[in-house]
Amino acid sequence: MQDTEVEKKNNMLEGTDSRVYELGYLLVPSISEENLPVNYGNIKELISSFGGEVISDEMPKMLTLAYPMQKVISNIRHKFKTAYFGWTKFMMSTEKVLELKKNLDLDSNFVRSLILKTVKENTIATKKFMRGESYKRPTVKRSTENETAVVINKEEIDKEIDAMVAV
Amino acid sequence: MKQDYFSANNIKFIDYKDVEILKRFLGPTGRILSHKRTGVTAKNQRALTSAIKHARFLGLLPFVVK
Repeated sequence: MQDTEVEKKNNMLEGTDSRVYELGYLLVPSISEENLPVNYGNIKELISSFGGEVISDEMPKMLTLAYPMQKVISNIRHKFKTAYFGWTKFMMSTEKVLELKKNLDLDSNFVRSLILKTVKENTIATKKFMRGESYKRPTVKRSTENETAVVINKEEIDKEIDAMVAV
Repeated sequence: MKQDYFSANNIKFIDYKDVEILKRFLGPTGRILSHKRTGVTAKNQRALTSAIKHARFLGLLPFVVK
């Protein structure tokens, strides 16, 4: 009984300690498109290795940067005009995040990375405009439903007219 | 933009990845517009500036447009 209580307390503590974070990152453009899923998987693994729970994420995509960035990798200064931008939302304890950040700073695959506090819910508002396509689909379905409804109505109307004529 | 854009569109969390939205609040040289010109509430203006600055850091938005 005592053990279960202790476990409960631990769970409570974990619940209060963990927070929702978002990792935005830029990967080096020298990674080939074939190896991109591998790197993407590695990032997810890295997060889960620190006890993180991935909530949502997006595959890194090639992006032309708004300005050229520089990074020194093994004593050679590299200049980047493009990079793969991706992000991951995850739950992690507040202490582990600092360790994760240290780990990311040492990684040579990253041009830059940014860890932010966020909320669990989807925060991208531009998807509302993207949803325009999915909004069209239900309207199409509705139109088909309306058509069938109209057909039924026609039959009923015909019957009614016949009845009227018969009278 | 007289009314608060974010409360009008029911945006509770201003995301740095929403570049299309953030671009509305940049001037022709890439500077953040003042709250006087954006009409955004003080709270949202603070969130907006930090979102723009995060987007700039990750190369999604420019610091300066020449």
